Amino acid sequence: MKEYLKRQKDIFSTAENNKLSNLTVMIAGTGGLGTHQAQQLQRIGINKIYLYDNDKVELSNLNRQIFYGRKDIGNYKVQVAKNHLDNFDLDTKIVKKNEKINKNISLPSDLDIIFDALDNFETRFILEKLALKNKIPLIHGGVNSWYGQIAVILAQEKFRLKNIFNTANNDNSTPNVLSPVVSVVASLQVIEGLKVYLKREDVLKNQLILIDLLTLEIDKIKIVK
Amino acid sequence: MVVKVKFHSLFKLNLKSAGINYYIDQPISIEELIKKLDNDFEGYFSEKLLDTGQIKPGSIILINGKNVLHIDKLDTLIEDGDNVTLFPPSAGG
Repeated sequence: MKEYLKRQKDIFSTAENNKLSNLTVMIAGTGGLGTHQAQQLQRIGINKIYLYDNDKVELSNLNRQIFYGRKDIGNYKVQVAKNHLDNFDLDTKIVKKNEKINKNISLPSDLDIIFDALDNFETRFILEKLALKNKIPLIHGGVNSWYGQIAVILAQEKFRLKNIFNTANNDNSTPNVLSPVVSVVASLQVIEGLKVYLKREDVLKNQLILIDLLTLEIDKIKIVK
Repeated sequence: MVVKVKFHSLFKLNLKSAGINYYIDQPISIEELIKKLDNDFEGYFSEKLLDTGQIKPGSIILINGKNVLHIDKLDTLIEDGDNVTLFPPSAGG
């Protein structure tokens, strides 16, 4: 086991620690959720992170997209993100994919988990289709103001984003986003992703988690279709 | 008969309320529920949930964990003990 991971090794069994070192993930979107997820997954010491995004850094990103500063404006996010993470000289391989998520992309063949770090439902529905087609667990997350939501989409279970949010792709409003809220939602997604990958018993199945960070309430809604 | 209606996210923030319970004599439709909510919350819900007589894109109405778009939309009946969840989805990232 890598020496820099010793403060977390007792949280997991030996088999789980070995498994985590082989974990390969896709982060779909290298914005607010994606940069927080990538930072945490690198610190956990997983094998490989594929970072997807084809946008360039903009001024309006800087309130929450933690890898970027003013000097990065105009540069591709995945390149800046890879440079940022590689500078820490840890062992997780960072692969940049300067691609927009669309129905025709070929996913890497070595993925274990996909993390939703997108900012719209239209692309989320495409990502969900890709995940289901390839039978890869998808960990959904979204934020709006003080609120967030997460869910786990598994091919063998009933929960589908498209069933619950099927008109949300027609909503053209731009949500407000706050860095600590993004950070909490991204953290919960990473934790759920680890539980799914390690086949822990308490994985979220067919549930939508609604998070209120003003009142610190979390509601679990059982989804029947 | 009791119907529990819960508000989440910006609905909860804007209304300063987490929800309301209604005591009903017989099943009521989602459309009728929205009228009741409008009476109690100054027309807020028809503005947020409806657009030219249809359910507005981007607002979610669940009954017992199922989107009413997959049942009978605004005609979906709510019965004793049902839980209705209303919220705008969190789309940002």
